[in-house]
Amino acid sequence: MDDNGHGNDDGHGNGNDDGISVEGAFDDEEFDLGSLEEELRQAAAILDPVPAELRRSAVEAYALHDLDARIAELTFDSLTDAIPVRGAGDVARMLTFHTGDLTVDVEVTEDGLMGQLLPPQSASIEVLHGPRAGAALTADAMGRFACDTLPGGPFALRLRTGAEVVVTEWLRA
Amino acid sequence: MRSERAPVTAYDDRPYTRGGAVDRSDVGALVQSAVDGDTAAWKALVEGLSPLVWSVVRSHRLSDADGSEVYQTVWFRFAQHLGRIREPDKAGSWLAITARNECLKVIKSLRRLTPTDDPQLLDRASEDRTPEESVLDSEEAAAQSERVRFLWQEFEALGDRCRQLLRVLIASPPPSYQEVSAALGIAVGSIGPMRQRCLRRLRARLDARGAL
Repeated sequence: MDDNGHGNDDGHGNGNDDGISVEGAFDDEEFDLGSLEEELRQAAAILDPVPAELRRSAVEAYALHDLDARIAELTFDSLTDAIPVRGAGDVARMLTFHTGDLTVDVEVTEDGLMGQLLPPQSASIEVLHGPRAGAALTADAMGRFACDTLPGGPFALRLRTGAEVVVTEWLRA
Repeated sequence: MRSERAPVTAYDDRPYTRGGAVDRSDVGALVQSAVDGDTAAWKALVEGLSPLVWSVVRSHRLSDADGSEVYQTVWFRFAQHLGRIREPDKAGSWLAITARNECLKVIKSLRRLTPTDDPQLLDRASEDRTPEESVLDSEEAAAQSERVRFLWQEFEALGDRCRQLLRVLIASPPPSYQEVSAALGIAVGSIGPMRQRCLRRLRARLDARGAL
């Protein structure tokens, strides 16, 4: 079974190995460092814990678990996949999502979202910001859609094309 | 070796670690139960693994706002991909690597927007007090909290690499080395020696200050 990754290291002496005794010489220094690590762990839990509201939002995120929807994976993100334009102030973020034969191109600017479905087709689209319902949009027959508010924080697009439901991978705008 | 229950400090009774912690060997089963609709299993995953995600975010020194968004993005995406994750028992590593990638994206976008150092990335620990710190202030355990703050200050003052590695290692419950490797993009084999070197350095700083 998974030994928590500490089983074969140099005697991780922080007391979390369920009492597995280390054979051979008792390592004073490792003991000291192990307890220092443990003390630091406690300090982190006191001074820099997971904020309660974030923990709550992670619990609520369970509602986003949806086996019926197909996930459109992020296949291009200009932030990481494009050569950065130095000095250019306001560069739109270009995103491409992909699933099966459907491609969703999205451009995120200061003014909001603009998108294009390929092959062109109409769809009803919801802009999700979390487990609660988001703004409703429509892609026209040419597959174009727009939203004049910029998603703050994580967002995903939930698209209904005919009988199919597709959700883009969650992303921070 | 110290027994599991041996108290180290007065904080040992705090639910920061073992209580309610997820045994890493249970993670795969919890993921499967969550896929099958078990809310409690999902909660247990959040309980056991969100400190790891938070540690990864913190180790990359993001601002509170960016860090919160990364944390949420990671969990939203995990919920979305639940049931499609290839190795459910390695969900911790999945979360860690996703958090790392999102952190790197934030850092990249900040760099693109502001060519100079972003003030948000600078150390803010000394000025801002967390609510927990304020609570500590009002408590009687002044000496104890002083000691904790001392330790934290010296930790924050370590070099970037050590601070980053240790911040991930000190998640509660302790992450596996595979998870640390995923979180920081360093080889599993180099974690042990780096950990030792960094803790030794911290110990030396504390000794120099005559503390602890």
